[in-house]
Amino acid sequence: MQRSVPRRVALFAVAGLLVSVWAFPVLWALLTSFKTERDVLAYPPVLVFAPTLANYREVLFGSSSILPNLWSSLVVSCWATVLTMLFALPAAYALARLRYPGKRASGFFVLATQMLPPVGLIIPYYLVLQRIGGLDSYSGLVTIYLTFSLPFAVWLMVSYFEDIPYEMEEAALLDRAGRLRTLWYVILPQVGGGIAVTTVFVFLNAWNEFLFAVVLGGNKVRPVTVAMFNFISVEQTQWARLAAGAMVAMAPVILVGLAAQRHIVKGLTVGAVKGGGRR
Amino acid sequence: MSQLGNVRLQGVVKRHGETTVLHGVDLEIRAGEFFVLLGPSGSGKTTTLRILAGLESVSAGQVLMDGVDVTGAEPGARDVAMVFQSYALYPHMTVAQNIGFPLKMIGTPKEAIAQAVADAAARVSIGHLLQRRPGQLSGGQQQRVALARAIVRQPKLFLLDEPLSNLDAKLRLETRLELKQLQRALGVTAVYVTHDQEEAMTLADRVAVFMDGRIVQVATPREIYSRPAQVAVAGFIGTPPMNLVPALWRDDAVVIDGVAHPVGARTPQTREVTLGVRPGELRAGGAGTEARVEYIEELGDHCIVDLKAGDTRLRLKAEGQAGVREGETIHLGFAPGAAHLFDRASGERLN
Repeated sequence: MQRSVPRRVALFAVAGLLVSVWAFPVLWALLTSFKTERDVLAYPPVLVFAPTLANYREVLFGSSSILPNLWSSLVVSCWATVLTMLFALPAAYALARLRYPGKRASGFFVLATQMLPPVGLIIPYYLVLQRIGGLDSYSGLVTIYLTFSLPFAVWLMVSYFEDIPYEMEEAALLDRAGRLRTLWYVILPQVGGGIAVTTVFVFLNAWNEFLFAVVLGGNKVRPVTVAMFNFISVEQTQWARLAAGAMVAMAPVILVGLAAQRHIVKGLTVGAVKGGGRR
Repeated sequence: MSQLGNVRLQGVVKRHGETTVLHGVDLEIRAGEFFVLLGPSGSGKTTTLRILAGLESVSAGQVLMDGVDVTGAEPGARDVAMVFQSYALYPHMTVAQNIGFPLKMIGTPKEAIAQAVADAAARVSIGHLLQRRPGQLSGGQQQRVALARAIVRQPKLFLLDEPLSNLDAKLRLETRLELKQLQRALGVTAVYVTHDQEEAMTLADRVAVFMDGRIVQVATPREIYSRPAQVAVAGFIGTPPMNLVPALWRDDAVVIDGVAHPVGARTPQTREVTLGVRPGELRAGGAGTEARVEYIEELGDHCIVDLKAGDTRLRLKAEGQAGVREGETIHLGFAPGAAHLFDRASGERLN
């Protein structure tokens, strides 16, 4: 594609502006994480300073180490993701494929659960978990995460399943694959992009979740988002440690994102190339 | 194994809610036969094929294969293979994996699969494409992969749903011939759905013509062409289609615009009929019905003359040169044996 020079310049300018708006907070936090608390509070802000690793040392190995909390986050997020996908895939497949009375209504119901404001659910969830002894437990928090990640994942996966032509399944049935093996050999491999996208979203949602974790967690189950909150107290906010904690907490997310990047882009553009022939 | 492959439909009815798609279809397909279901779209031919495959349930009636009732059997339990109109290849598998998939599903050992895949691929000349994916193939090649996947398991019954409709005209003719050769070589029963009467005529041992959810005629292509059982079949088969003219049948002749044409069959009482004459059977000259030449379509070895007799459009097919000029008025006749007589009301054949 040939573009005129002014057009290209304008495009780069706009793109650059957008990237800097998105990237600025992250870069500023990165910078902050290498500063001493004194440099952080310096006004006007200093860009040239003597970098220190003290904050990282403190958040990783110090008295307020967030390593146990990272572990906590990892356990909660992984369980939430695995269970979500385990239940969401068959459910979405059923919603996309099988014809049964009330299909339309159940599809809407799945979406409707996404419309509830989470804040309104905290107190009921708290009371329910308290009653069944699920407060400050991994199973409790994971279950709560499932209540919103599952509908989201189902809703997302349905559209991927719907993209697969019926004839593909009919061919597999005639090839004697049966329903389950058709799903395993023919359907799932074709929605690989969708699975990657959904898994990443579900994992990120669980990893970044704060509201439910702070209320329904406790001393035993304290994800990293809650732990970082401890750097903010009434007397003072330890900005540099907070920033270092944020950087550490971000690392796994970035790794997951990079690993799945190829699939995500592929998954997001599915359906955009329908006219372009068989995928 | 592919030794048998006898299929019977008995009183098969299919309803979708209020609408009835098939009104009691009875059909017997013999083992080893190339059987074509022909009809316009919406006539129920594809539904019939899908019922044979087990992809569609029946509302009433029975499906028998080699004498065994398979009406309620799952698709996989029927020993049938199908080629879909869209081919339905698995896009994430290589050609070899696509072809081998039916064998893998029945637990065939790896070496045996490789051998069978190579054989099937060779039969449809795609042996060199085995490591490609369907997305990297042309339409014609994809079609061959679909064929290979269908024959690899050596099914009893081979179902084809308009398999040539996505190919360009030249390729369609070539593939048509190969398809017929393949079916002969394998000795498998094939049921083939198409709306293209030329395809039906060239491929079929026998044809079932569908109209509005009913079978109106089952016969060899020759017989369907020379003795259509229904006026609708007569109008559907043949290029250009048969001329159909309202007429009176009296004694042993039909009367059109006051001119009597002998038809070689006698009626006890005068009745209203639809007269059918193939364009190739119309003759110009003599003292027949008057018609004006509107256009002449030159097609090389033959030509089509468009005529108007009163308000009725007629077509005459002449070998070589037309021998008439546009605007000329000619007289039309036909040999008594060329007349097809249908009841005006019911459309049933009378002679």
